[in-house]
Amino acid sequence: MPTKNVADDRISKFKNKGKDPAKLRDKRINECVELRKAHKDENFLKRRNITLSSLPDEEALSPDHVLDEKVNSLTIEDIIKEVNSDSRESQTRGCQAARKLLSRERNPPLKEIIDAGLLSRFVEFLGMDDEPTLQFEAAWALTNIASGTSWHTQQVVEHGAVPAFISLLASPLLHISEQAVWALGNIAGDGPAYRDALIDCHVIPALLARITPETPVGYLRNLTWTLSNLCRNKNPFPAVSAVQQMLPSLIQLLHLSDKDILSDACWAISYLTDGSNERIDVIVRTGIVPRLVALMGHEELSVLTPALRSIGNIVSGSDLQTQMVIDAGVLSVLPQVMRHPKASVQKEAAWALSNIAAGPCKQIQQVITCGLLPPLVELLRNGDFKTQREAVWAVTNFTSGGTVEQVVQLVQGGALEAIINLLQVKDAKTILVILDAINNIFMAAEKLGETEKLCLLVEELGGLDRIEMLQNHDNEMVYQAAHNLIEKFFNDDEIKELKVDTTDDAFVFQTSEAEKTFKF
Amino acid sequence: MFVTDIRKEFYDVVVNQRVALLISSDIDALCACKILQALFHCDQVQYTLVPVTGWQDLGTAFLEHKEQFHYFVLVNCGANVDLLEMLQPDEDSVFFICDTHRPVDVINVYNDTQIKLLIKQDDDLGVPSYDDIFRDEDEEDGDDSGNESDLGSEPSGKRRRFDEGAVERRIDRQRARREWEARRREILFDYEQYEYHGTSAAMMLFELAWVLSKDTKDMLWWAIIGLTDQWVHDKITHMKYVTDIATMQRHVSRHNHRNEDEENSLSIDCMRISFEYDLRLTLYQHWSLYESICNSCYTSCNFKLWSLNGQKKLQEFLADMGLPLKQVRQKFNCMDISIKENLRDVIEESSNKYGMKDIRIQTFGVHFGFKNRFLASDVVHAAAALLESTEKDESASDTFIKALDCLSRSNLERLHLGIDLAKKKLIAIQQTVASCICTNLILSQGPFLYCYLMEGTPDVKLFSKPMALTLLCKYLLKAFVHSTRNKRCKLLPLIMAAPMDVEKGTVIVAGIPPESETSDKKNFFGRAFEKAAESTSSRTLHDHFDTSIIELKTEDRTKFLDALITLLS
Repeated sequence: MPTKNVADDRISKFKNKGKDPAKLRDKRINECVELRKAHKDENFLKRRNITLSSLPDEEALSPDHVLDEKVNSLTIEDIIKEVNSDSRESQTRGCQAARKLLSRERNPPLKEIIDAGLLSRFVEFLGMDDEPTLQFEAAWALTNIASGTSWHTQQVVEHGAVPAFISLLASPLLHISEQAVWALGNIAGDGPAYRDALIDCHVIPALLARITPETPVGYLRNLTWTLSNLCRNKNPFPAVSAVQQMLPSLIQLLHLSDKDILSDACWAISYLTDGSNERIDVIVRTGIVPRLVALMGHEELSVLTPALRSIGNIVSGSDLQTQMVIDAGVLSVLPQVMRHPKASVQKEAAWALSNIAAGPCKQIQQVITCGLLPPLVELLRNGDFKTQREAVWAVTNFTSGGTVEQVVQLVQGGALEAIINLLQVKDAKTILVILDAINNIFMAAEKLGETEKLCLLVEELGGLDRIEMLQNHDNEMVYQAAHNLIEKFFNDDEIKELKVDTTDDAFVFQTSEAEKTFKF
Repeated sequence: MFVTDIRKEFYDVVVNQRVALLISSDIDALCACKILQALFHCDQVQYTLVPVTGWQDLGTAFLEHKEQFHYFVLVNCGANVDLLEMLQPDEDSVFFICDTHRPVDVINVYNDTQIKLLIKQDDDLGVPSYDDIFRDEDEEDGDDSGNESDLGSEPSGKRRRFDEGAVERRIDRQRARREWEARRREILFDYEQYEYHGTSAAMMLFELAWVLSKDTKDMLWWAIIGLTDQWVHDKITHMKYVTDIATMQRHVSRHNHRNEDEENSLSIDCMRISFEYDLRLTLYQHWSLYESICNSCYTSCNFKLWSLNGQKKLQEFLADMGLPLKQVRQKFNCMDISIKENLRDVIEESSNKYGMKDIRIQTFGVHFGFKNRFLASDVVHAAAALLESTEKDESASDTFIKALDCLSRSNLERLHLGIDLAKKKLIAIQQTVASCICTNLILSQGPFLYCYLMEGTPDVKLFSKPMALTLLCKYLLKAFVHSTRNKRCKLLPLIMAAPMDVEKGTVIVAGIPPESETSDKKNFFGRAFEKAAESTSSRTLHDHFDTSIIELKTEDRTKFLDALITLLS
């Protein structure tokens, strides 16, 4: 390297001499990052330790490590031989090898194991209380088979695994019992038929019996998830009696602090509230609504999302049910949720708000009072399309149920401008909803005798041009709606005259006139 | 990829083809271009010559010629960006890049088909190894997500239980990947942090001519000018300069030896190149000694000629040498032969007394016939002045052709015109430096020095050109370092801004590394300018091949500088 000065080279070997400041700074930054990273890793480890469930480590499970070597190299044929032999040791070895195959990340041989006819043997092993290792390996293997397609799950159930697993729930060995919980969760998650079959086998009391103050967090997580699967799926919904059985425990779980438990419990509630008003009533009556509203503000997305979904479901119910949610303070949490960085959260929040705005004017007034108009307008302006669609619904519902004064406030808040801008979207359904809202606003103006001023306002906001354009829309209904609006409110001759008047000082007109128009 | 056998992989490929030459606007590139043109003349290679002043120009030139040409030779441009990404060429376009800009973009280094780098690999490149920066994506598996569903979406109805090992393996893999990526970023950051220059393009192409046994004295002279350009415009370290001068000297000896018998038959059109240990007095053989001393950076800074004291010291110095003022002030050509005979020794002796230990420098001179003698640096200054001439409103390609012409020995008249322009330019630089120092226009901004030439400053138009502005920067920083007592300021780099286009409301901004004897001439302003512009969304144009020279909207100057200060402190 001809360009390097020898002396320089030497100097730079001493600690900080001869290094330029920029390099030193980068080094410092990097060191800082390293430290932070190390700290974070440590935290991860800690968390894993706390959550470590009753399931022991893999190594500890193997009867001995010598055996382990052999287990890894077994083929399916070997496994069949081992599992079908009479020696307990061979059976364990075979069962464990099968479990390992089923636990590998890529292409687990679910079908091969089923076709090898091993399921009936595995189910048989589940009952061997004197062979806990074998019991555990079989439970794990069956769990993974049940995690496949419906057909896979069906094979497990048809081999009689359900009663075997339910009795395993009572196992004194936590890790075996937990594995049974997991397996039952997979079966319940397959669909309403197996879910109800499990319920008929009295799975619920057996599960609930395992919830004690001493139950490890990891176990509770699996259990909560299994309970949520028992609440899941419609057509038909789970029987009300079963829901009633589970609810006290679910509510108990909702008051824990572990985010995974909270998440699954909230999902359970969201499944249960996704139905008729009677179904919603069952939930609301437990008094869980305030807790759900609180969880809506949870920092973890995995908790916030199902809590928000549950609340959204409930406010889609009766006015009375909605009122209970409002009374629980949902309107003070919603603005922050509507401003959540994640678009899917914004969308759900807008959906919830649209349902509240569909209520009587008393509830609409509360929406205004709690300051939800600004975030609503923000979403109309900047949300992603799905969010905007929900927000548009909120506006339309608001304008159809609100008083004249309330509608005026909405317009003053900038909602009219925002929905007019949205008239450019492709989706015909959304356009119809917007035209509906504009129509509602005109009706309010009519009551005040301010139609002309509103016409001017709409025109200045570019609304008239857009509505006129929509008369060329492919969709017949859009055309009709746009046409009706023009016919009804924009009477040609007068407008032409006014147009000339207004263009000159359009800017002043827009803001000051708008307010003047709607002064009461 | 780097071309290892320049003859087989470059020359033999293009020799029967039509070639587009895209030449950057600097003296080294001009010289390289002359050498290439001479070679192409020899072998009757058809070529089209396109001068390019910046990236936009390069893009346009490519678009205009991509239909007719498959082979493009880029001189002093193209190496330091991902060229394929920028030009989006068809797959059959091949680029031969002979460029001094470093660092070479890693994509260019590792592209084997379309990018051929005519760059010496022993040139202190420090390119990161392939495995450190590229990774085959096949290793990545699609099932990274496993059964972890996206946060916030509905949980899956069924979950498989993985064995602990699998989960851990996955975590390990992800961690390894993250670490690899972090390391990659670090490596690339280190690699791309500084901008600097490698071996002169003219020297590279001279070497090609030599390998082909087609090298001539003219080519050798151009290679020397190319190298001298790097020294005059302060692009390479002193060590690199001295090393390359030694290389050139070997070639010069070889050529002189070859023509020894002709020596006696000196004719009007013969050309003789000689190694010189000559004075660092700019253009002194074409000026008066006095004017040269006054307008040479080295002497002017050492005497501090912008001060009265400095002027006094200069008089003392002249007296010390025992040179009559009348002789010193008249044209060098007309000085007494007796004075000229051992002038260099006399000056060196006195200079040593005045602390100017290295008033002499290794360089080369050329004789054309009997009358015309030039030092390599004379030609560099003349060509640069022609290339960036602001006298008439000439287009960039006009000045390019004129500057190119002045390098031919058949065109000495143009060379003399260039020397006259160069004198004007040097005087302008000297006056600007003096006024900046005397009126304290150089401000310390914390991490760097800053000087803004206001609209209306004399000769400001001259400094809207990148080479002139860079030269001014170097002179100004040297002068400042000599004049300031603040020790910290001596170690700072300098940013200069000058009006560029008054109508568009833009300024040209150039940044140079700190001034020091042992400076590695590495410039970090390129990256810094990019980041500062990005963070403030200043309207900048990073069009120059040197990333440390940009164009900026005048209104955005303040916020841009503020961001730069925050970024660098």
